[in-house]
Order: sequence, then structure tokens, then C-alpha cells
Amino acid sequence: MKQSAGDRTLLFIVYALLALMAFFSFYPFWNAAVISFNNGTDTMRGGITFWPRSFTLENYAVVFEDSRLINGFVISVLRTVIGTLLSIGATAIFAYGMSKSELIGRKGYMVFCIITMYFSGGLIPTFLLIRSLDLFNSFWVMVIPGLISVWNMIIFRTFFKGIPAGLEESAKIDGCSNWGVLFRIVLPLSGPVIATLSLFTAVYHWNDWFTPSIYISNADLLPIQTKLQQILNSNIMSEQMAQMDSAAQGRMGRMKAVTTKSLSMATMMVATIPILCVYPFLQKYFVKGVLVGSLKE
Amino acid sequence: MKNGKKAFGFGSALLALTLAMTGCTGGGGSSTVSGEAKGGEGGTAEAAGNAYVLGEQPLEFSFYGHYDWYTMPNWGEDKASEWIEANKKVNVVPISSGGNAKQKLSTMIVSGELPDVIWTERGADVESLRKAGALVPFDDYLDKYPNLKKWAGQETIDMLRSEDGKLYQFPNWYTTQPNGNAGYLVNKKIYNDLGAPSLETTDDLYDYLVQVKDKYPDVVPLEVGQSAGGVDIMTSAFAENRPYQYSSLSMKAIPSGDTLTSVFTDDVFRETLVYANRLYREKLMSQDAFTQPLEQVEQKIITGKAAVYVASSPTEFGAIGNSILSEEDPEAGYIMVWPVHKEGLDKNKIFPGTYNQLGWNVSVITKSAKDPEAIFAFLDWLTGPEGQRISMWGPEGLYWDGVDEEEAPKFTEAFTTDTKGRDELMNSTVNLQWVGNTVYVDNSKMKFESTLPEDKKSWETKWQSEITWKTQYDTTEFVNLNPAGDSSEGIIEQSVGEIYEKAKAQAILNAGSEEEVLAILDQAEKDAQQVGYAQLLEYKTQKWKENLEKLGR
Amino acid sequence: MQNTTHRVSIEKTKAKPSLLKRFGRQWDLQLMVLPPLLFIFVFSYIPMYGVLMAFQDYSLFEGFAGSPWVGFKHFEMFFGAPEFWTVIRNTVVISLLKLLIGFPAPIILALLLNEVRNRVFKKVVQTISYLPHFLSWVIVSGFVMSMLSTENGSVNMLLQNLNLIKEPINFLSLPEYFWTILVTTGVWKEIGFASIVYLAAIAGVDPHMHEAAAMDGAGKLRQIFSITLPAIMPVVIVFLILAIGNLLSAGFEDILLLGSNPVLRDVGDVLDTYVYRTGIQNNRYSYATAAGLFKSLLGVLLLVGANYAARKSGNSLW
Repeated sequence: MKQSAGDRTLLFIVYALLALMAFFSFYPFWNAAVISFNNGTDTMRGGITFWPRSFTLENYAVVFEDSRLINGFVISVLRTVIGTLLSIGATAIFAYGMSKSELIGRKGYMVFCIITMYFSGGLIPTFLLIRSLDLFNSFWVMVIPGLISVWNMIIFRTFFKGIPAGLEESAKIDGCSNWGVLFRIVLPLSGPVIATLSLFTAVYHWNDWFTPSIYISNADLLPIQTKLQQILNSNIMSEQMAQMDSAAQGRMGRMKAVTTKSLSMATMMVATIPILCVYPFLQKYFVKGVLVGSLKE
Repeated sequence: MKNGKKAFGFGSALLALTLAMTGCTGGGGSSTVSGEAKGGEGGTAEAAGNAYVLGEQPLEFSFYGHYDWYTMPNWGEDKASEWIEANKKVNVVPISSGGNAKQKLSTMIVSGELPDVIWTERGADVESLRKAGALVPFDDYLDKYPNLKKWAGQETIDMLRSEDGKLYQFPNWYTTQPNGNAGYLVNKKIYNDLGAPSLETTDDLYDYLVQVKDKYPDVVPLEVGQSAGGVDIMTSAFAENRPYQYSSLSMKAIPSGDTLTSVFTDDVFRETLVYANRLYREKLMSQDAFTQPLEQVEQKIITGKAAVYVASSPTEFGAIGNSILSEEDPEAGYIMVWPVHKEGLDKNKIFPGTYNQLGWNVSVITKSAKDPEAIFAFLDWLTGPEGQRISMWGPEGLYWDGVDEEEAPKFTEAFTTDTKGRDELMNSTVNLQWVGNTVYVDNSKMKFESTLPEDKKSWETKWQSEITWKTQYDTTEFVNLNPAGDSSEGIIEQSVGEIYEKAKAQAILNAGSEEEVLAILDQAEKDAQQVGYAQLLEYKTQKWKENLEKLGR
Repeated sequence: MQNTTHRVSIEKTKAKPSLLKRFGRQWDLQLMVLPPLLFIFVFSYIPMYGVLMAFQDYSLFEGFAGSPWVGFKHFEMFFGAPEFWTVIRNTVVISLLKLLIGFPAPIILALLLNEVRNRVFKKVVQTISYLPHFLSWVIVSGFVMSMLSTENGSVNMLLQNLNLIKEPINFLSLPEYFWTILVTTGVWKEIGFASIVYLAAIAGVDPHMHEAAAMDGAGKLRQIFSITLPAIMPVVIVFLILAIGNLLSAGFEDILLLGSNPVLRDVGDVLDTYVYRTGIQNNRYSYATAAGLFKSLLGVLLLVGANYAARKSGNSLW
């Protein structure tokens, strides 16, 4: 099939735009990576752009020497894998139930869910609840409270509704229960949305430093992102600093100065690269025509 | 799920056990117990009869640093804490702030599960913990353990006392002598190239900056640091005996007779902003003053792209910049100059920096602690000469060996030759300096420096002894003036603070003339009075008077 | 077994059975939703008594039982604060700008990516475009600040080299540029990540429809508007409803870090940053909760409105 001239120009513009965007998205990340491979003192002189000026692996050596960071890394991986699997599984089942128009109480249930997206009791009552459930300082506090995501449920539901009703009907006539339809028909047809929401959930779990910062005091159970957050925080001028006299500011500055920019960037790389690798693997689920293929069978 | 949780619990228990065991073996293996320690500990035990003797029983307590940026290093992983664990049988378990200190502490308060020790700023947080009866008073321990009382002095201890007359706070970097680094850093190369002109008065400085701008277009004539902190420091140039703190965001109150008055109507503050505005308009001062990240400031100093740098602690970047620049060119580097002053003032009464006897922050022991006395005994040991030597410069034998008659360490040759190893050690323990003893540490350092030949002297110590320590002002009487955030004065403080920040930024950045600067400040005064500035000043005056009473001044 | 119950149920529909019976008949469906609902009840509804804090002078040490009740005091203070209307205006303007530009941007990106035939190029662009999502705001703001700096900032240098300006512009100190900077940075950071869900939706479009349309001589642009867009409309609308419900969340970390200059407060202070500064930073928990409650109520109103409007398209949330 030949393309029209208009289509070709359009395509050219598309490619050019995307390439430009890719450059702008890539550069800061690349720059951070370059800085992580550069000598810490040299980095302070600035002007490092596309390539390290004084190449070193020292920063990574420091990162990998720190037993806490390695430990945090393991916690992060465990949390992400377990948290994502459980949450996606539970939420998909929930969403399928909620997508059925014959579900009695559906409207009420939905309102019940949506209210929680806007009103929350806040940190303190939630903390007291978590403690009374014996989840405080436990690995599971990073998995269980976030098990059901209303937001994910809504997305799942929207996609499930898009699956032709005829498919489910015929399965039911063949003797499938609702659970059977979900697992045999609906889920296999939902590759793209499962991949998307798994990615979102995994990214959430990986990046969430807040939950552990509140609910976990034991430094050995903290995921790597919480540690990264602490390191990055040392770059921000704190309000407390402005309140101090100059002698005290000097003392505090000295404590904060231990972590160089190169070292923070190396930590950031270690804390980010693993989750970045997830997406490329999920992209194969975005192939077109999943649904169509099955309809033709 | 339960199993998983247990597995983690088991893992950490195992870890703790291993740590404890390695600790014990270490203790048995090392036989060096310095004579000083024996004397110190033994002496108190005799005096008080039942004093806790560090190192007889294992001591373990949890420690929480109430700062978003603070990460306590694992105990026992650096040379200093390794030694303490082995010889004093002390293990400190870190409680992480997770980068979220404020909320972390509030959840710990609500659940009633406070860490044994909280390391935090003095002020409202400590006071509310105290009022709730969550803290352990130190009064009973003070006489049993000698170091805090001896080194901090009665005056500092009295100033630290709470409203109920008891002492709950263990100070950090308390002092009885001036310290601090605030002042003016000058780029040596540029300065000499321009014929080393006089830099004594504010007019000299202005003329110099104009010259720099003409000859060095790519250099920032005056760097004022992040959030234009340098402008604050410069208020000191426009009056004698005038610490910058009066007109800083933290105080916003100018002593006048026996009351504190508005900052917006203060002539010195107004004159400084007029001066700063002129520098900004004529591009003689960093144009990014209010937006630049700290690393941008650092970069300018280290690459020699600033001619003058005024800040509350310019020596940090200055020392690195000096060594990097002078390595490439012996003529380059940084010097410090005597603080500038307005024509007609006495240059010996100009104080760009401030310090107070109470030091930076405090450690408090909560009622969660099983044996608060033991913890106090440890902190007291840590702030004493032996504790300070080990936590600053590592165990005996590495960089120091033995002490002189004043208990100052005798530094070994390695201290000056193995700078890399020394810096690594000092970096690994800098985050364990919870109860720093300024007088002991500074004097030990100075004593050693004075024995060195001129070219071996540390750049920083040189300027500290020649200039900065002589030009820091004691602001002890102005500590703890700030109200609690949720009180009605606290709400005013917050509003006035915002008015202040905005007015200052506008006066420097946006004003097109002297009149406009003054108009902005007049408007700020009106706005501030509307939100209750007078009431706030009254509160601060009251607090100030209480301080003066405590100090007996 | 289930099969038979199902059959029976179909036969009985004519009789209009009671609610209880109908409920019993769909027990397997209810089993899918009731446990998660119970879960939501435990983790979201039980702590909800916390909103009562807004009507107390809450103290951490006294707790809920011991803190005094003060009625609407904190609401009155909040509505009476001198900053109130500035904050509301900024919140609404910034959110609307973010919605207007930030909402369609990822959809457009997804549509553009969909047109790319070269697999490797597509995969690479897709992966790269989502990288900025993983940079924390601290790092991003550092980048933006140094790019916009007046001292060797790349933007100023570029504009000067192009002779568009003579003197460097102090972008982050001038209120008129702030919203543009904020929205641009926000779009740049999230566009790739947000486009993923639309790519998933596009994956469900039947390619034969495009073939058929092409046969009929429809150009690419026509195909996008008449086939792809309508196919992903349900997802778009659901996201739009949720976004409108979140209109009062104009941003937090981005504004806190990029708008750190006090002269920008008149244009940058939004609800969340204001509550953070005045409430959380000063331990005024009740005040912060009152402001939060106000925000939630408005959010729900907006959501109900958006949902009502969307109902006509048949894609409402409930």
C-alpha cells in the first residue's frame, strides 16, 4: 500500500518530534549517570555534561560497601514483587465484580470506594490502626494496606467493560461461573491493562519512601528509596538551618557535606535502574489485536 | 505472612547477637585503657558512691536524630564507635527518620513509643515533650558525672533549664569561647591582580566590586550564597556590636533599650537592603541569589568564579576551593579579610558571625529509656576529653598517641602526612558528634596547629585564629525567643516571617531605587502590624528578659 | 453445580424474586467485591474519625479524647486568612493550566507513538520518555534551576546566541514566567509515564478497522480522529473525571522546590503548599486537617459534577 504525500510528511514530523522529546527526556538521566561515574571533588567544579571528566568507580564502591544500602535493595525488590502480585491479583478480581451491571449494590459500592479517594483520616489515626493491627515495624506494612487500590480498580473496570459482552455470554452458556469467565476469558484478554497497572503498581511500590519512613523504624527493614530520600534531603537547605546562628550552621553544614553529589547520584542510579528495566519487558503485552485474535477463533 | 514477619525479626535478632558477640571479643582483645579514663571514671565512682561505671555492664539504647537529612551510621562500623563498643560495651541502635522527621516524631509521640534518646533543635518540640512529662531530668546526675558541668559551665546549664527549673537537655557544641566561620572570603588572584586595594569599608567593597565587574565579566563580583544569606551577614557592617541575627528570619527583632522593636523600621536593616539592592541592580552581586541551588554556589567558589564570598560559613567551600586553585596556580586561592564596616565605625566592633554558649542542638533522654542514668553517663563520657578525642580523631595510636598535661591529644605524624586516611576517619564519624565539646576540640586543634610550620598549617584554622574567631558575637541572651508554632504568637511569627521573606526578596530584586526599597519595607511594617507583630515583639521581649535574668546580666 | 444454579436462576427471573434471593443467586459475584470492600472499610473508613481533628485543638499528647472541641474555629481562621483568596486563585489557575496542557499531552504522545512503524525506534522512545518520572523533584528542580540560571544557564545562553535577548532573564525570580515553567516541567516529567495507559488502550483497537479505513482512502489524520480516538474514549473520559476531581491538588513538591524564591509566593502558593507551611510545619494539625477537609469537599463536588457531565457519554464512574 502506498502512502500519500501528506501521510509521509506527517510521519516525518512524528519521528522528528519524538526524537526531540527523547533527547530532552534522556539527557538529565544520562547526566546523572555521568556524574555518578565522576570523581566527587571534580564534580563540584561543575561543567560535566555528556561524559565523565575524571572517571572513577569509587562512588559505586562506596554504595556497594554500605551494607544498609544492599539490604535496602533486597527489601525493595521483595516489596515490589510481592506487593505488585498481591495487589494486582486482588484488585483485578474486585474490579471484575464491580464491572458487572447486574451486581446488586454496585452504585453504592462505587460511591463507598470513591469517597476514600477524597477523605482520609490522616496520618495519626492511620498510624494507630496500623499499630493495633501489629503491622508496625513489619515488612508487611508496605504490602497489606495498599492491597486494594480504588484507582486501579476503576481503570481495570473501564478496560473490562470494553471486552465484548458476547464473549462472556458464550462462555457462560458453556458452563463457566463468573470466576471461570474472569480467569479463562477476561484476564487472558487483558494483557495490556494488566501490564500497565502492574507497571504502575510496581513503580509505586519501588518509589514509595513515605510509608516505610513512618511505619518502619528499624533501619534494616527500610527500602532503598527511603535511604535515597534521606541522602537527597541533605541537598535541600532546611528551614532549621535559617533558625540557627552562624557557628551552628557551620556544624550542621559539615555533617551534611559528607555525601558528595557524585555519591548521591550513584545511589540514585542503584535505586532507579532496576525498576527502569521492568517496562521494556512489559512492552510486548502492548501488541495490537489481542482481542481481535481471540474473537476470530 | 506471620512467618515472613518472624523471619525478618529473627534475622535482625541474629544480627544483633552477632554484633554483641563481636563486641565482646573486641573488648577482651584490646587491653589499652587510657590512664585518663581510669582516673575520670574511678574518681566519680568514689565521689558519688553509686555512679554508673561505663563498660562494666553492656549498655544499649536507641537514638533518633530529628532531621530529615540525618542518617545515623551503623554503630560499630567506623573506628571510633567500634572502639567504644569494644571498650565501653555501648551499643547505639539507630531509629531512622526516613527523611520525614516531623511526621515520624509525631507518630512516635502518639503511640507513646519514644526512642531512648532524641537529638534535636532546642525549643518548642523539646518543651512540649517536657510538658507532657516524657523527658528525664538530668539534675540528679549532674554532680555524679563531671564532664558536662565542667566543660559547659554553670551559666550554660542554667540557660538550658526548662521552666520548671530542671535540666532536660544535653547540649552539642556548647562553648565558652567564640567560634564560627562567618565572614568575607576574597579570591586571592583577582585581588592581587587588581593591586590589592583596601577592603575596609563598605565603599571600598563597592569600588572593588565595580572593578571586578569591569575586568572580569565572567566572575560574580559578590557571591551572597543560597537564599541571599550573605546579605544578612552584611547587616553587621552598618553598625557596631551588631550581630546579623537581629534582623535575620529567626529573630526579626531589634534590641532598643530594654525592648525589642520592629525589624522593618530598623535603620541598619534598611540601610543594608538599600546597599544590597544597589549591588543587585548594578549586577555586582549574584543575580540568582534567591534561586540558586547550593551546588551552584559551591561550583562558583571552587572554580574561582567569585571575587568575594560572604556567608555564615564560607570556609567550607573556601578550604576546598583554596586547595584546588592553589594546586594549579600557587598565586591563586582564597584569603579572608577583616570584616568590612561602614565609614566612620570602629572596625574592631564589627561582628559578622554569631555563636551562643548553648551551641547548636541538644540530646534529650526520654522516659522510654530503661536506664537513663547509664545513657547520661555515656553522653557525659562522650563529651569529655576521652570521648571527644576518640569520636573526633579515632582510637589512640592512629592519629594521636597520649595526651599532654591539659588532656589535649598528642597528634602523631600520620595526622599531617596521612591526610586521606584522616579525612576518611573524620568523615565516617562526623555524624556521631552528638555532644561536641567546642572548647576542648578547638583548643586541641589550635595547640597542635601552633606547633606546625607556616606552610603546613591548615588553611581553615589559620583564618579562624586570625580573623573569624575574633569577629563572632555572643548571642546567648537571644536564644529561645521563638514561640511554639501552634500558639497564637507562633501563628503571628509564621505570618510575619512570610512578610519578612517576601519584603526582603522584593527589596533586593525588584526595587528600582532607594525610595522603592524603603517603600517596600514601610508596606511590610504595615502588613506585619496588621497580623499582630507588636504582640510577637512583646512576647520576644519577655523571653529575652528571662534570659538576661538567668544569665545574671 | 454452579451451572445448574445459573440455569435455575434464568428460569425464575419472570417471578421477580426478592432482593435477598437475587443476592443469593449472585453470591459468587458478591464474593469478588465484598472482601475488598471490607478491606477498604478497615484501612480507609476506620481511621476516618481523624477528620474530627478539624473541630478540635488537637494536641499530640492529649490525643483525640483529651483535646478540646472548638467547633469551626479552624475553618474560620482558614477562610479568614489574608492569603486565602490568593491561594485559591493560584490553586485553580495552576491546576487548570496543568489540566489543559498536561492532560492531552500524553494522549498525543501515545497517538504519535502509535504511528511509528519502526519497532526499535518505538521501543526506545517509549522507554526513554518515561525516564523523567523516576527523577525525584529535588534533582529535577536542580536541573531546571541551572538551565534557567542567569549565570551560564543554557536557556539564557541560547536566547542570547539567537539574539533574542540582550541581557539574561532571571526566569525564576519573575512571577510572569512561573506558571509556564511549572507546567512545562510537569508535562516533561510525566508525559511518558502517563501515556502508557493510553498505549494499552490503543493496543485494544482492531487493526482491521485501520486497514478498512485506509482502503476507503482515509489519511492517517482521519484514521486517528475517526478510529483510534473514539476507541480509547472510555479510558480518556474516566481519567478526565478523576483529573477534574483532583483539580484542587495543584502540586506540592514541584512548587515548593521551583517556587522557593519568596517573590514568587503571590503566584505560586497553592492549597497544599500553604497548608504544609502554616499547618504541618508548625504542628497545627487541626488547622491542616480543616484545610484538608475543605479541599476534599470541593474535590467531591467537582467529581460529582464531572461525573454528571460524563454520564451523557455513557462512561460515568457510577
